[in-house]
Amino acid sequence: MAANPINALSAAEQAERRRRVKRTALLLGLVAGSFYVGFIILTYFRSQH
Amino acid sequence: MAYDSHAGAAHGHDAHDDHKPHGWRRWVFATNHKDIGTMYLLFAGLMFFIGGMMAMIIRAELFKPGLQFVDPQFFNSMTTMHALFMIFGAVMPAWTGLANWQIPLQVGAPDMALPRLNNFSFWILPFAFTILFSTIFVPGGGPAGGWTLYPPLVLQGSESFPMVIFAIHLMGASSILGAINVIVTIMNMRAPGMTLLRMPLFVWSWLITAYLLIAVMPVLAGAVTMLLTDHFFGTTFFTAAGGGDPVMFQHIFWFFGHPEVYILILPAFGIVSEIIPAFARKPIFGYEAMVYAIASIAFLSFIVWAHHMFTVGMPLAGQLFFMLSTMLIAIPTGVKVFNWTATMWKSSMTFEPPMLFALSFLFLFTIGGFSGLMLAIVPADFQYHDTYFVVAHFHYVLVPGAVFSIMAGVYYWLPKWTSKMYDLKLATIHFWLSTIFVNVLFFPQHFLGLAGMPRRIPDYATQFTDWNMVSSIGAFGFGLSQLLFPYIIWKCVKSGVPAPSRAWEGAHGLEWELPSPLPYHTWEDPPSAELIARGAAH
Repeated sequence: MAANPINALSAAEQAERRRRVKRTALLLGLVAGSFYVGFIILTYFRSQH
Repeated sequence: MAYDSHAGAAHGHDAHDDHKPHGWRRWVFATNHKDIGTMYLLFAGLMFFIGGMMAMIIRAELFKPGLQFVDPQFFNSMTTMHALFMIFGAVMPAWTGLANWQIPLQVGAPDMALPRLNNFSFWILPFAFTILFSTIFVPGGGPAGGWTLYPPLVLQGSESFPMVIFAIHLMGASSILGAINVIVTIMNMRAPGMTLLRMPLFVWSWLITAYLLIAVMPVLAGAVTMLLTDHFFGTTFFTAAGGGDPVMFQHIFWFFGHPEVYILILPAFGIVSEIIPAFARKPIFGYEAMVYAIASIAFLSFIVWAHHMFTVGMPLAGQLFFMLSTMLIAIPTGVKVFNWTATMWKSSMTFEPPMLFALSFLFLFTIGGFSGLMLAIVPADFQYHDTYFVVAHFHYVLVPGAVFSIMAGVYYWLPKWTSKMYDLKLATIHFWLSTIFVNVLFFPQHFLGLAGMPRRIPDYATQFTDWNMVSSIGAFGFGLSQLLFPYIIWKCVKSGVPAPSRAWEGAHGLEWELPSPLPYHTWEDPPSAELIARGAAH
């Protein structure tokens, strides 16, 4: 008995999980994008000196 | 007993509803984490052998002084491409493959959280490496300025430059998307009851690695984008004539590059922390300390980057800071080595291939760690910098460190993935040949470096001949012995004897609670709290 249907998520829980997945993925994508742009801006200002 | 042939299989899961696509569509449009994991591992294997061939060319050329087989430009291209193929093509995709296979199984999730993104992040890689490999054939040859891509040298390269930059962007995108998927899966898809501190250490190590990836891969992408604009669009980010600073590139590169080293090795810590308790038949010693040690190493990896560039001429305060912060890493690393050793203390160990590779990792990675400490000492580093001592150091960390633990992981979970047991005798021979030849290959390079032989050269002074010959013989032996690895896997898949669902009697974790052969879809209903508690053996 590997699975336990009693432990299965309800439809509402699954919908909430889908929302959390989307939110977390977008947030992490935003963080990665910020690092990319941020380091280019940082180097730009550094090269002005 | 070699493996637990009497363990009962946990039958009854949903093997009947394996709706899997067939033919090429199964792989091209794959969204199943097991299929994508398999593709990542096969791709990594292919890159390992292509990168390995490049290493053979390097060692053949260095077998004796003088120019033998290749011209210096091609030699430098081989050293550059060997690094790029091994780091971005072999080791990182192998870890992602293992993550794809194991994380959903180990946290009780039905799949990765973002399966289509998972497919996309894999299929970027063959394109990236086809572009990178094809640079060998463009006028002027492939990239030859070293994998660190330092300007101004890299800006004076061949016509392959934009292709290399594009390929690196693609690799970076693939890694970032893969890392997002791992974090989202672990943070949102764990079975109810699978708390963070119940997660297997392999999952923990990958969670921390994924955060590192998201923080530093965009930095590499930003750096190479600036190289591109410096080359083609007249910017001067790294061109001194226009007010830019080439040393700034080195700072940015190593802000990525040092955490990258830990991206390559942290999942190895996770794998070894799974394997040693299984074959010592004891819970891991100090589970929470292991988690905090991995997190500490990851944090420290962000504040040590300039130890790669002591010789550029930085202020004394900077040298002291980066020297001491680097030495600090020895503390959490020491905690881990102590805990692995304490796990084995007074245990009932057996020495099947996964355990042999894990033990080899423990000894040889520690040698790499010690030579790293030597390199962290500023005045010593002034002597060792850009010598074969550095080559010996990072190869001890990455070959018996990262590569051996990938092999340990494959040998550990292969019976679960295929439901068959591989040829243990042949795998043991593979282990001994690898361990002997890896030392013949890399240990003499310490002596060469201490004697002053510089790296990245196709020719050398005659006093370095003997140890170079020994090193090259080790390389050929190591390269040939690796052919056993795909043969053992192929033989296992084709004609392995059936393995029980818990292939190793001391193995714990949710993946071993699943039946063998594994259903195509697993944990569609989350595992029970009882199973989770049984799996979390610490």
